Amino acid sequence: MKHTDVIVIGSGLAGLTAALASARQGKSVTLLSYGSSSLSLNSGLIDFLGYDDSHKAVKSPREGIMGLPETHPYSKIGMEEIAEAVDFFRDFAKEYHMPYHGSLDKQILVPTAVGTLKPTCLAPHSLAGSESLEGKKKIVVAGIRGLKDFYADIMVENLKKSLGDDLAYETIEIETPLTGGRDITTLDVARWLDTPEGVDSFSKQLLAYKGKKDTAVIVPQVLGTKGHACYLTVSSRIETDIVETTGLPPSTNGLRLNAMFRQALRDNNVEIVENTKVIGSKCEGKACKCVIAEAGVREKTYTADKYILATGGFYSGGITMRSFDQPEEPIFHLPVYSVKGEENWSNEQLFSDKPQGYAKTGIMTDETLRPVDEQGQHVLENVFVVGRDLGGYDLCFEHSGNGVALASGYKAAKM
Amino acid sequence: MEKATVVVVGGGATGVGILRDLAMRGVDVMLVEKQDLVNGASSRYHGLLHSGGRYAVKDQEAAKECIIENTILRKIGKSCVEASGGMFICLDIDREQDPTYEEQWVQGCKDSGIEARQISLDEAFRLEPLLSRHVVSAYLVPDAAIDGFRMSWQNVDSAKRYGGRLKTYTEVIGVITENGTVKGVKVRDYFSGEEYEIACDILVNAAGGWAGELAQLAGLEVGVQPDKGTLLAFNQRLTSHVVNRLHKSSDGDIFVPHGSITILGTTSMSVPSAEDTSTAREEVEKLMSIGEKTFEHLRDCRMLRAFAGSRPLYIPPGGSLGRGASRGFAIVDHEKQDGLKGMFTIVGGKFTTYRLMAEKMADAVAAKLGNTEPCRTAEEPLVPEVSEADKKAARKYFPAYGTDLAATRLGPERFARVTETLKNNPEKRELLCECENVTVGEVEEMAKELSSFRINDIRRRTRLGMGTCQANFCALRSASVFARVGRDEGAKDSLGQMKEFLQGRWKGIRPVLLGRTIRETEMTRALYELSFNVNGHRIGGDKE
Repeated sequence: MKHTDVIVIGSGLAGLTAALASARQGKSVTLLSYGSSSLSLNSGLIDFLGYDDSHKAVKSPREGIMGLPETHPYSKIGMEEIAEAVDFFRDFAKEYHMPYHGSLDKQILVPTAVGTLKPTCLAPHSLAGSESLEGKKKIVVAGIRGLKDFYADIMVENLKKSLGDDLAYETIEIETPLTGGRDITTLDVARWLDTPEGVDSFSKQLLAYKGKKDTAVIVPQVLGTKGHACYLTVSSRIETDIVETTGLPPSTNGLRLNAMFRQALRDNNVEIVENTKVIGSKCEGKACKCVIAEAGVREKTYTADKYILATGGFYSGGITMRSFDQPEEPIFHLPVYSVKGEENWSNEQLFSDKPQGYAKTGIMTDETLRPVDEQGQHVLENVFVVGRDLGGYDLCFEHSGNGVALASGYKAAKM
Repeated sequence: MEKATVVVVGGGATGVGILRDLAMRGVDVMLVEKQDLVNGASSRYHGLLHSGGRYAVKDQEAAKECIIENTILRKIGKSCVEASGGMFICLDIDREQDPTYEEQWVQGCKDSGIEARQISLDEAFRLEPLLSRHVVSAYLVPDAAIDGFRMSWQNVDSAKRYGGRLKTYTEVIGVITENGTVKGVKVRDYFSGEEYEIACDILVNAAGGWAGELAQLAGLEVGVQPDKGTLLAFNQRLTSHVVNRLHKSSDGDIFVPHGSITILGTTSMSVPSAEDTSTAREEVEKLMSIGEKTFEHLRDCRMLRAFAGSRPLYIPPGGSLGRGASRGFAIVDHEKQDGLKGMFTIVGGKFTTYRLMAEKMADAVAAKLGNTEPCRTAEEPLVPEVSEADKKAARKYFPAYGTDLAATRLGPERFARVTETLKNNPEKRELLCECENVTVGEVEEMAKELSSFRINDIRRRTRLGMGTCQANFCALRSASVFARVGRDEGAKDSLGQMKEFLQGRWKGIRPVLLGRTIRETEMTRALYELSFNVNGHRIGGDKE
């Protein structure tokens, strides 16, 4: 039974951040990971707060966060730590060759694969849509022949509503050598663009727009899997702004971010244990002594001074619910907050101006991110809760998931 | 003014059955439906092709009709029926409650002509390993699963070959009468709101749960009690047979496997209007707790959704309601009953006997018209089968398991066209819906049909979005394809179509929003609300 200073359970954005931030403070860290993490389903854009409780667009996330209720995770984390987390992330991203742009004071608008615009705070340059689209007179949407889930013509129809139909629009189709087999994903094309031949061919097909300062080229998320290297190469060859969109999974940008984190964790000697599902724990009084994990057919225990729970809420099985009104946290059996009653659990409309009640289910903590019971008393002193496991917010409604993940992961590491 | 000799109102199984039957007899007939086909009880049920076993004790007349029609439908609607076979299981609690029921049931099956073969418990558990070990006896019967959507569309396709006409999204808002005789109907187009008249000599009210309301438009009264049944769909095949409890018919005691899912049903509850297709948490709980008796680990299975529909129970004066009411059907000749010439109402019955009901109704209509052609709906298949040779030739263009599925969904003519499309345009072989194995080529074929106004119309005909992911991936794709090739102007609003499609899925997901279902919902919202911001406002506060 190996002992480290910190054990992080879960390798989504919150877990990765907690592990990296802990390691950078000189702690020995074990990261227990089950499955391939949620990053392939994550845009890798760091939204902090896109919409307020009445669904009004938030112009300044910093101001929006100040106005949130006490029960919101951001209120527990505090503005100072949130701002530190942003700096921490930006420094790390720059060091690992995929600098992120943006700040807590305004929104970047990223074009999506359906032609709407999505607000976010921090984005790599290739996805920093509004920064590149500003002042353009012409938009070229470049599809890829045979690529699944990218419909350039439909995107243009909707872009006209988002960006205005006074701009000129054009669609083109890029040819690749990937057609003729199974369905092609953005990841296939991105891997092709990791090769010199791929970048050559791709850039050549965009030469018609070379040097056109009033034009931006919008492409699906295909500009390589390795940081922003491919983006830089293509941009410098065509000398025109090129912008990626969000899209259906697999998310190339989420995988870029994942690769970057994994590299940084290895560089900081974090022990990553894959395919390990934590199924329980042993606690004495208010202290967790070890966690128990299923590794293949065996059970293994891991011990640490401090445990960070980043198991992803309902989304990743970190919270389960077999019967109505009875959510459970299966590892530490922490008290789980949820709204009660059928009428509060969900809205009649899937998309509306109200958050979904069920989505606020999660674990309540104090300002140190330690779990508390209904009376606000600590349940366990050496367990910290981060990311989607936290209660009191609907991330899809308010566009805040990666922001909470990043800020809570960072803060938990400091505690 | 448009004209048809006979106008049939209601695009459920009964209505399409009458459309086909009359068209085959050479009658000029038109069906009008206010929504898409099978929007009522004909699809909102468990999709069970009854052997009659369920009625063997209570109503042997119904049981006999069921087994005869079951045999006919297997023959004429091969590609709609999954001949899974059925199992009746008696639990220890069932036997305790009524020790004599099993014996009565065995005798009832025998008397009704239903082959019920007792099997050993070992055999039962071998066939259905997930069954509760509280089973004390088991029988095999010729139950089957049937696809209500497909069966109904195939009736229409068949009717069209004989000149039958169909108008969907056309609501009857008035019945035109003159001197005690029906002259036609006034209708409204659902999308444009346009109102116009259709002249007819005979009006057939086959509006199911809405039959009472339609009768009122003609100033008549028909006693129809909508009786809501709620069902749950699970994301896997829990069984390979239809599994029924061998006890007095009750709520939530039938499991029907369909393709890759299982449907558990059903409840019985009088509701004021057939429009009420809501599901309350209480109903879900009730179904789960009964279902758990048959499959004890049911709560660990992911539910896809809940849905509900209303049986149109016919209430003759002084009749009873609910499960006690007759599942039989009634034909009312309003000339005899109310002195209004040229109008009939057909109500009640069950999906399994829809063809027989249509035959009886068409007999009555034909008699009025002096038409002496015999009914041929029991002999002629709904659609010709796709030949093995055609399927074989198509295999290299379809996804691995997709050829047979596409052939049963499409029928020979459309299948040939889609095969040709896939052959000539390899990019159309792309899977638009992985869960149900539907290619872009097939979706385009259906999207182009004049009866496709919404993605949901395409869904009912292709099964797009009905599987594991509940439209997470195909909502974007189908909205984009529909915007590209759809003939209706409304198809171009890709975001609106996408949202409407997802909202339709949400309606069924919402009542079963437990842990495993929430995972999928979180995915839907993360993709469409977060990544695509379809619910978004523009910065500055303007709504998109």
